[in-house]
Amino acid sequence: MSGSRSIVKLALASSPASVDSARKQPAIQVSNLSIVFDTHRGQTVAVDRVSFDVAPGEFVCVVGPSGCGKSTVLNTIAGLEVPYEGDILVEGSPVGGPRPDVGMVFQQPHLFPWKSVRRNIAHGPRMHRKSRKEANAIADDLIAMIGLKRFADAYPNTLSGGMQQRVAIARALANQPRVLLMDEPFGALDAQTRAVMQDNLLELRDRIKATIVFVTHDIDEAILLADRVLIMSAGPGRILREVAVKLPRPRSSTIMVEPSYLSLKKDCLDVIRAEGARAFNQSDSN
Amino acid sequence: MQDGTSAPQRIAVRSSGRNRRPDSARLRRLNILVGALSLPLFVGLWELASRSGAVNMVLFPPPTVVAAAVLEWIRSGQFLVDLTASLYRVTTGFMVGGALGILFGILTGQFPVMSSLLSPLFHILRPIPPIAFVPIVILWFGLSEAGKLFLVVWGVFFTVWLSTHIGVQKVDRGLIRAALMLGTPRRQMLQEIVLLGALPYIVVGLRTAVSISFYTLVAAELAGTFAGIVYRIEIAQQNMQTGQVMGGLAALGLISFIADRLFAVLAERTVWWR
Repeated sequence: MSGSRSIVKLALASSPASVDSARKQPAIQVSNLSIVFDTHRGQTVAVDRVSFDVAPGEFVCVVGPSGCGKSTVLNTIAGLEVPYEGDILVEGSPVGGPRPDVGMVFQQPHLFPWKSVRRNIAHGPRMHRKSRKEANAIADDLIAMIGLKRFADAYPNTLSGGMQQRVAIARALANQPRVLLMDEPFGALDAQTRAVMQDNLLELRDRIKATIVFVTHDIDEAILLADRVLIMSAGPGRILREVAVKLPRPRSSTIMVEPSYLSLKKDCLDVIRAEGARAFNQSDSN
Repeated sequence: MQDGTSAPQRIAVRSSGRNRRPDSARLRRLNILVGALSLPLFVGLWELASRSGAVNMVLFPPPTVVAAAVLEWIRSGQFLVDLTASLYRVTTGFMVGGALGILFGILTGQFPVMSSLLSPLFHILRPIPPIAFVPIVILWFGLSEAGKLFLVVWGVFFTVWLSTHIGVQKVDRGLIRAALMLGTPRRQMLQEIVLLGALPYIVVGLRTAVSISFYTLVAAELAGTFAGIVYRIEIAQQNMQTGQVMGGLAALGLISFIADRLFAVLAERTVWWR
């Protein structure tokens, strides 16, 4: 964070044009990212020279079939997946491990079962040496924001899947991350809960200023949420296409019947279908 | 859901429920009654069989004789001495063996080097029944208390070690990743996540070890001692005091049962989030 601030200062000293470029320094820069796994059959290229930038405050969705390496890319940005080839810069500094300005929400809530909702959310602030009182205050604010005041002292096993995932999101936000990574956070929820959670996230997103990278295999979810959708292919994972979603905000799930939405969806599906056919023919000929 | 087709079904379910409920209540009451009669019935039959002359009354003394022997045992003050000696061995052995088991379980579960170093050894020693160590324990420790404790500790240790080891290994990797992302330092991972994650397994291991500590107590006291419930059973057997033998067995069963119940209550509070 101090690194990016000094860049801004330097830029201020020089021409106005570079001020603009400094302000537009991407929140995340991924360039030529390759990840190779050692398996029992030798080496497998999971991710092949993936490059993309995410602007500060942008909401980017990454879609692709299961096994295309989209989660691996996210874990790498989070600092959980090492080693990798290529460069990843978050807020201008290279990723070498988990860091406080990057938060993550997983497909499973992974709440600490022995901690109440409040203690779960307060965990991050506590680990960053906030007092119990301060941490609880942060937690209580977030609990109000996710609408679970009645459950502040409940243990995770008494909550529904959707509630647990809301707590997991609040827990990730408690450290006030600049970047929030979400790995299919609604993938394990039923369709109705998922729709509610998507609307909640859209509302939440207007209140927090974090940059969000959201991985999903659901094309509808991606278009509904994102400013930009990255479509990935499998084996090895690479980015097929970027689709800018210029639908007006604030959005809600009702947008899914608008013609502009549908034409975007058709574009995405065409890319996916073409890739699917290619992959199918390839596996057929093998 | 609200269409007409489901209505008859709902009625059918409700009517069968209405018919079943009094039946199941009656059945439950009957079960409670039978359960309450179980022990008196058994003791009564035993008394009858023993007094009828169908079996040798010296070898199978009736419950009244056993009760008299137990009363005499308590009145003489010897029972308290025996109980204290046995409980001391069980609790000390359990605590020392349990503490060592948890400590080594964390070491081998958390650090692969420690596991490579110790697990093969532990896996070879673990299946040897503690009773088999009685002869060598007598050589090593004579008739001292240390030998008795050694046997109980030995029995408890491996059970607790294995369950702790497995518990530590089975801690959800997702929890650790989540904790890392929230800024939990790796050196605090043990106290923040691993210990609590393994706690349910550790508690199960400790509970199994409660009954194991009583098994090994038997071996320990048969190895030669001067007081203890099993020692009293053995002495009574040598004197043909079969009433005292059975009283001792009943006492041992009762104590072991109470210990297990107490631990079950304790275990429920230890894993407080369940």
